[in-house]
Amino acid sequence: MDSDILKIDRLSYSYPGASIPALMDVSCSIGAGECICLTGDSGCGKTTLLSAIKGLLRGGSYLKTIKIAVPPGVNNWSTPVGLVFQNSESQILCTTVSEEVAFGPENLCAPPEEIALRVQKSLRAVGLDGCETRHVERFSAGQKQRLTIASVMSMNPSLLLLDEPTSQLDSQGKQDLCELLAGFKSHGYTIIMAEHDPRPFTSIIDRYLPIADGRIGCSTSSLPESGRYEPRNAGKMRPVVVDDLPVIIDVQQLCLSYPETGTALNKVSLKVRQGERIHLSGSNGAGKSSLLRCLAGLETPGSGMVKLAGITNPRSEHLPGKVGVLFQNPSRQLFAESVHDEVAFTLRRMGFSRQKTERVVAEALSLCGISQLAERAPLTLSFGEQHRVALAAIVAPQPEVLLLDEPFAGLDFPQRLALLDILAEMPGRYGTTVVIASHDELPDHTWADRILKLNGGQLDETGR
Amino acid sequence: MKPAVKIPGHKLLRTSDYACQYMTHDSPVHHLGAGWKIGICTLLSALAVGVRTPWELFALVAVTLIYYFAARLTPFDLWRDTRFFVFQAVIVICLYCIHSGLAKGIWPGIRTSVQVILFYIPGAVLLRTTRTGDMMRGLRRVVPYRVSFLVFVSIRFVPFFLRELDEIMTAQQLRGARLLPRQLLDPRNWGDLFHCLLLPLMVRAVKTAEEVSLSAEAREFGTREQRTYFEGVT
Repeated sequence: MDSDILKIDRLSYSYPGASIPALMDVSCSIGAGECICLTGDSGCGKTTLLSAIKGLLRGGSYLKTIKIAVPPGVNNWSTPVGLVFQNSESQILCTTVSEEVAFGPENLCAPPEEIALRVQKSLRAVGLDGCETRHVERFSAGQKQRLTIASVMSMNPSLLLLDEPTSQLDSQGKQDLCELLAGFKSHGYTIIMAEHDPRPFTSIIDRYLPIADGRIGCSTSSLPESGRYEPRNAGKMRPVVVDDLPVIIDVQQLCLSYPETGTALNKVSLKVRQGERIHLSGSNGAGKSSLLRCLAGLETPGSGMVKLAGITNPRSEHLPGKVGVLFQNPSRQLFAESVHDEVAFTLRRMGFSRQKTERVVAEALSLCGISQLAERAPLTLSFGEQHRVALAAIVAPQPEVLLLDEPFAGLDFPQRLALLDILAEMPGRYGTTVVIASHDELPDHTWADRILKLNGGQLDETGR
Repeated sequence: MKPAVKIPGHKLLRTSDYACQYMTHDSPVHHLGAGWKIGICTLLSALAVGVRTPWELFALVAVTLIYYFAARLTPFDLWRDTRFFVFQAVIVICLYCIHSGLAKGIWPGIRTSVQVILFYIPGAVLLRTTRTGDMMRGLRRVVPYRVSFLVFVSIRFVPFFLRELDEIMTAQQLRGARLLPRQLLDPRNWGDLFHCLLLPLMVRAVKTAEEVSLSAEAREFGTREQRTYFEGVT
């Protein structure tokens, strides 16, 4: 078709040293002004395809025919394809907003007066006009995402690619981003986004292209397998915790403030009983991580009291084995030469005998479904597998309390459900209290005994 | 744990800022060209090496502080920028006193430690008041822009890696790693410092460097021999 802006014909690609191709015989055409969503589970090849379109793949074996039609009137100071990566934190390269947006056009040798116009236009398009001189460190996750989009839009791309643009955003951030992209679409931009949960964008997406194991499926105009994204309402049901179990987390009138951002927690009081499953919800910056850090003894509150597993105002060095914390990025926690050693680390530090360590490690690996990975090096595993290894490492000591900070980031829907299933086992097996802090709704509505919502540093209970 | 500071209306607060990061202000120093600031920085730092008498030192302290506060930076910023030198100052003064006795060692100890701080402060002002692009423009005649970009993007990621360091240390301590300062006084725990802290930090650094280079490449960095410079919005 003449109106096609992108035509891919039998594209195959294998990463250096990989035995299985990441992309196989991918063929598709994208019309000018279309909004396309690449869907599929983690590791299916979505990011690789976007990188191939942008021309960023290096090395490996490459068979390709990618044709990008440059619309008439596009000058030498523009790029045909703009790519916004998943992690906005590591793609912001400059210190101020205007510098960041100007970086692309500067590299294209656009004259300064042209750059000034583009900076103004791009920032207005993403709603950041007036922030030109602000330092990027002060921005929220949503603002950083908008800034990365502006810094790509300033290069006047004909084709805008977005890789998992909602991975760090709460529901309001997702809605704002959808409105932003709808605006771009109405101005004639062609958009291709890779999303494993495209539900927030259904109103602007024209076609879905499913990818599985590097192969592209037939395009559809409606969300493929829409049922898979629906939260489960009949998960592992269990009786609600009875009131006579002991209180394991007791927080009273907790206050915490930071000079630059103000109040993070405002007189938060909370009682959680042994074996309860809690979903701590709230938007970006609501104070969820701050509350978890106070619980784990990593922050000293301005005032108030925390009692956790019988320890008043705990310090982190008193908690190994009693409290497990899973942070967002599992690779931060991994260092051992094998998965087995990784999981055994805390047990050895707790003075477990060799026999007991072997038994408990085997149990933790089995619970997390990674027994087959025991001898593998953790850092060579996929993101989803690393996530499970990190979970197994904190689950192994059978802690009294398990705290998880945004545990769903980077996981696709089936992986999220599998994680919840593992966590659902903990109260019954070990009497562990599980607290999940997440801005996303849980993929299983029956999982949580209680949902607590943090808003502006204050805690409300919203039921289950 | 982040340092605590008291401010009115709050009982106990912590800072979440970092030293030597660019501050957006409208000050006379911000309006100076990057070349001028590099020149002033070189001059003040050279004078810091050369001062000998108490009066010279006092005069240089005054000039350096006037330069610092002319950039609309606060005493709190000064503390953030120089707090690690306080430890250096204590160690240097103690060593001089041990070597030469209190009466003879105190002045050389104070002079040397203040000289080190004075040598460093003009560089902090340069980083606090000069944007990456201005610095690259200032240096383009002596350093290729690809090289100067590498240097300044590294400075931009200092807060990022300090946060990463904090997160990794936190996660590993909760798993039983012995990383508290008093635990690290015992050489038997130095293995934890490498395995549990430095190794994951290096892995994160390599991963982040890869993401940064891809981001720069995706925005056509280095595809042309030269580049233009946007003067920026003030």
